[in-house]
Amino acid sequence: MDVSAMIPELLSALPLTLAITFTALISGFCLALIATTLRVRRVPLISHLVDLYVSYARSVPVVLQLFVAFYGLPLLVILFGAKDFISATMAAMVGLSLYHGGYLSEVMRPAYLAVDRGQHDAADSLGYTFRQKISRVVGPQAVHFALPGYGNSIIYLIHNVALVMYIGAADVMATAHLIMERDYNQFQFETYLVLAVIYSLMCLVAWLIVRFFELRSPMQAPEATTTTPIKNELLASV
Amino acid sequence: MLELKDVKLSYGSTQVLNGVNLSVKRGDVVSIIGPSGTGKTTLLKCINYLAKPSSGTIAFDQIRMDYQRADKTAVQAIRLRTAMVFQQFNVFKNMTVLQNVMDPLVVVQRKSTDEAQEIALRELERVGLTPKRDSYPSQLSGGQLQRTGIARALAVRPDVILFDEPTSSLDPELVGEVLKVIKDVTSSGITSLLVTHEMQFAKNISNRIVFMDRGVVAADGSPADIFDAPSSPRLAQFLQSELAFQ
Repeated sequence: MDVSAMIPELLSALPLTLAITFTALISGFCLALIATTLRVRRVPLISHLVDLYVSYARSVPVVLQLFVAFYGLPLLVILFGAKDFISATMAAMVGLSLYHGGYLSEVMRPAYLAVDRGQHDAADSLGYTFRQKISRVVGPQAVHFALPGYGNSIIYLIHNVALVMYIGAADVMATAHLIMERDYNQFQFETYLVLAVIYSLMCLVAWLIVRFFELRSPMQAPEATTTTPIKNELLASV
Repeated sequence: MLELKDVKLSYGSTQVLNGVNLSVKRGDVVSIIGPSGTGKTTLLKCINYLAKPSSGTIAFDQIRMDYQRADKTAVQAIRLRTAMVFQQFNVFKNMTVLQNVMDPLVVVQRKSTDEAQEIALRELERVGLTPKRDSYPSQLSGGQLQRTGIARALAVRPDVILFDEPTSSLDPELVGEVLKVIKDVTSSGITSLLVTHEMQFAKNISNRIVFMDRGVVAADGSPADIFDAPSSPRLAQFLQSELAFQ
């Protein structure tokens, strides 16, 4: 089998890889938003539980989190009296969503806290409600601070999707391994090289999208120059 | 018009306001002076509840609030009738100069965009910032930022305007442009409370001077009373050091 025949076969697994990635991206984002709100507002008890979740998501290796989801979710489903319907793909989606949500929360929280206290004060003093303040003033500024970290977290997520093969989800990495085993490991280097290109392209697209938003941020406006030109006389006296 | 009674506030174990009493009549221009750390800014922030006193009361025309039972409706009503100009400018960094002035009008006061823009442009012209209407805060000097803050405060048509050390964060060469705008605002008859270390300026524009010391109002009178005949050695010492510095 040559490389040109291998590529379409690998790409056939791309939709599932993208489905897992996008599910984790969207649900992880929602989880992170909720977790950040609860952590910033310090709701008694609940905030501590959310802290615990974030700590779990950030400190437990992702592959272990996937195993926990894969073996834990069916138990949870049975506990609630339903039939076990959890597939490897579903477990991968849930496991990665939880990981991405916890990780992203630690991008969002510092971004929120990075917004100057004075911006809150100004909005409050003018009579903005909490929702208006967040949507008009604090939110857009926090997004500006969060974007670089958010870009990184998307890239980490794309990398970590490669781990779902350990719980049996048929993503591009799992498919690559199947191809290599079928071909008696003759084209290992070529297969891994194609995989590297696929992952690089996915990361590049994610980075370009985040960068686009970074450059569009109103806070990206070029700063007024405040540097005083050094006079020639001063230089001459040095 | 505005009356604060026995306002107390502490940050941890530090008592900042120790039972402040202050009343302001409509049209008053009151300058609050005093040593640093004596609670001047905190007092100003108690009026619009940016600082939360542990006890005391505030009366703002018909609005009355006991700080121990502060309610959202009263706080919001007071905030809608006051505007604050901050020491650190606190201009919204994600908006242009024009948007900064327009946004509270559209979002809080529910004015139409056209009406808000008309008011905003008028206020920007008043503070001399029309050419900078489309600039972002990162592109402005300190003086321009503070003038944006003043235009934003004026645009909401407040009954009382609170100036919190508006020139303290400015380079000396930019102080003049801001003081000129403040003088113009206060001479228009709007009730103003001004926390400042610019003694000569306070003397010139105010009809009342309040001297705060150790969390209380230690002296309260006309500029002539305060500056020409200080009522206490502490006030005399403070004025001497401030005026000598300037």
